[in-house]
Amino acid sequence: MKKFLAIVLALAVVMSLGISAFAADKDPYTDELRIAWIATAATEANCTAWGNGIKNEAAYWGNVTVDTYDGEKSADKQITLVNDCIAQEYDGIIIQTYNKATLTPAIEDAEDAGIPVVCINMDSDAVCHGLVSMTDYEAGAVIANKIAEALGGEGNVVVIQATPGAARGINLEAGFQDALKAFDGIKILDEQSADWNMEKANTTMQNFLTSYPGQINAVFAHNDQMAEGAGMACQTAGVEGIQIWGANGETKALEYIEQGIITGTVYTNCYDQGATALRLLMMYIGSDVDISDWDATPVIKMPPITVTKDNVDTITADQRW
Amino acid sequence: MRQETLRRIISFGLLLVLLLVFGLTTDKFFTANNIYNMLRECSLVGILAIGVTLVIITGGNDLSCGALMGLSCMVISSLLYYTELPVGWCMVIALAVSILGGLLNGFCVAILRIPDFIATLSTKFIFIGLMYVVSIRDAYGSPTTQSIKNSTIKWLGSKIGSGPLDGMYYCTIAFIILAIVVQFILKNTRTGTNLYAIGANRNSAEISGISFVKTKMSAFLISAICAFVASLFFLGKSRAAEPGGGVGYEFKAISATVIGGCAFSGGRGDIIGTVIGVLFMRVLENGILKFGFPTQTQQLLTGIVIVAMLIFDAYYNEFMVERTRRRSARLREKEAVK
Repeated sequence: MKKFLAIVLALAVVMSLGISAFAADKDPYTDELRIAWIATAATEANCTAWGNGIKNEAAYWGNVTVDTYDGEKSADKQITLVNDCIAQEYDGIIIQTYNKATLTPAIEDAEDAGIPVVCINMDSDAVCHGLVSMTDYEAGAVIANKIAEALGGEGNVVVIQATPGAARGINLEAGFQDALKAFDGIKILDEQSADWNMEKANTTMQNFLTSYPGQINAVFAHNDQMAEGAGMACQTAGVEGIQIWGANGETKALEYIEQGIITGTVYTNCYDQGATALRLLMMYIGSDVDISDWDATPVIKMPPITVTKDNVDTITADQRW
Repeated sequence: MRQETLRRIISFGLLLVLLLVFGLTTDKFFTANNIYNMLRECSLVGILAIGVTLVIITGGNDLSCGALMGLSCMVISSLLYYTELPVGWCMVIALAVSILGGLLNGFCVAILRIPDFIATLSTKFIFIGLMYVVSIRDAYGSPTTQSIKNSTIKWLGSKIGSGPLDGMYYCTIAFIILAIVVQFILKNTRTGTNLYAIGANRNSAEISGISFVKTKMSAFLISAICAFVASLFFLGKSRAAEPGGGVGYEFKAISATVIGGCAFSGGRGDIIGTVIGVLFMRVLENGILKFGFPTQTQQLLTGIVIVAMLIFDAYYNEFMVERTRRRSARLREKEAVK
C-alpha cells in the first residue's frame, strides 16, 4: 500500500508541475542503465536500508545496475564522487547530501550534464529532479509535543544535536523549538552536538547528567544512534524517568524502546524510501523531462510513524532496518 | 644513475602501469571529461601537498594544513555573508589568517621546540575550533552553511571554456604554476638548499651557519600560503564553507608526498615526486570506482596499494643505502690495495 502511495505521490508531483513527456534518450525498460547511489556513510543503518531498497527495486527492472559509493561523511568526498559519476556518464544519481549548500555546484553540474539527480532525505540548494524525504521539521514538532505532553508542560530538556550545518539536524531543531514556543514551562537547559555518533552522545549525556544533576526531564537527540547513546548513559548512571527521544526508527532504537531504555522515535520505512527514489528516477529517465524552468525541487515526504512502547510491536520484522 | 632519479622513474613507471590497467580495461577512463576531472581533484590535494613537501623535507610534518585550508575558506565565506567587503579584501584577510597560522606552527616548532607532529596536531584543533567560531549561524544560533553567489568564487571553481585546453579547470593551471615555482625554489635557491640541509642533518646544517628557526619558519609559511591558495579553489569547487571542511585533506597530502618519494626522516624528495604521488593516488581512487568494486572494498584496496607503495619505498631505501655502503667499502679496499 505504501509503495503504491509513493508511486501515486511521485506521479502527482510530476503531473502537478505540468510536465510533458518527450521521447527519452534511453529506454528504461530495455536499455542497460547504470545508477549511482551516493550515501553519506554507506555503512550506517539508514543508508544501508536505503541502498537495499534501491537495489531491491532495481532487481525488478533487470536492466538496472546500481553502484554504491560511500560519501565517508564528507561533503567534499561526495562532490568528488558526483564529479566522477558525471565523468563516467552514469544514467542517474541518487544521493543523500551531507551538506545542503556544499553539494549545490556538483548537483547543478550533474543536472547540466543531463544526469537526473534524486536526493534522499537531504537535498541541496540546486533544483534537481526530486527529493524523497523523511519528515524532519514535522518530526521535531511531534517530538516536542510528545515531550511537553509527558512532562505536563513543565520541565527541562537537553538537546543532543547533529553535526553543525547538517540540514536534517537544522530542520529537526527548528520544528522542535518552534513547537516548544507553545509551552512556556519547558526550558532547554543545554544543547551540544554529538556528530550523529552514539559514543559521542554517550559522553555528552554523561556531561549533561553531571552538570545538571536531577534537573533533566527529557532528552531530544537528532537521530536514534545519539538517543541510544544517551539512553545507555542514563542507564549506566542509574538515572531513571528521563524522556529520551530520537528520530529515524532504526532497529536498535525500536529494541531499546521495547526494553524501556529510550522513550520513542519517529519511524520511517527506509526500504520504501529507497525504492521510491529509484522509481522516481526511472520515471524521469523514461520521460526525459526538462527541469530548467523549475523553481524548486519536488518533494515526496515519506509517511512518519511516532513509535513508543505502546505501538512498537506494529513495526514488523520485515519493516525494521 | 642517482638514487633519487631511479626512485622517480620507478614511481612514474607504476603510475603508467596504473593508467594502462585502468585505461585498457574501462572505456570511460581516457575521456577528456574524466581526465580533467581527475586533474581537478589532484590539483586541490596537490597544492596542499606542495607545502607539506617542504615541511617534510625539513624532517617535520604538517597535520594542520587541511584545517588551515578549511579556516581560510570559512573566513572568506563568513566575511562575504556578514559584511559588504569586496571579495578581494576577504581573500586578503584570509591570507593574513593563513600566514598567522603558519607562523604559529613555525613558532611552536622552531622556537618552542615542540615536535612537529604534536605542535601541528594541536594547532589543527585550534584551527578547527576557530572554524566553528567564525562560521555562519542560523536563526537558532547553530553553525550552518550558506551558498556563496559571488562571481569570483564561482570563477575559481570553473574551467576554461575554449581553446586547446577547453575543459581544464583553473585550479589545475594554478597547481602546475605553483609546482614549477616551488620546484625552482627547492632546487635553485638558497632557501631550498637550507630546507634539504636542515632535514638531512640538522646539527651539521646549523654548524655551517644555516638557521634552523628561519628555515622551519619559511617551510611552515609556504605551507600556510599553499593552504590559502588551495582554499580559494576548494571554495570555488563547493561555493560554500562548512564547519570542519578541509579536515582530513592533510592525510591525502602527506600520503601523496610520501608516495612521491619524500622521506619522513627529511632531506629527500621534491615537488616532481609529489606531483607523481598526487596523480598516483587520484588515478587509483578514480580507477577503483570505474571498476565498480563494492563499497566495502574501495577503501581497503586504496589502503592496500598505498601500503604496498610505502613498503616498497622502505625496502628500496634500505637496498640503496646498503648498495652505497658496499660501493664505498669496495672503493676503500681498492684505495688500500693501491
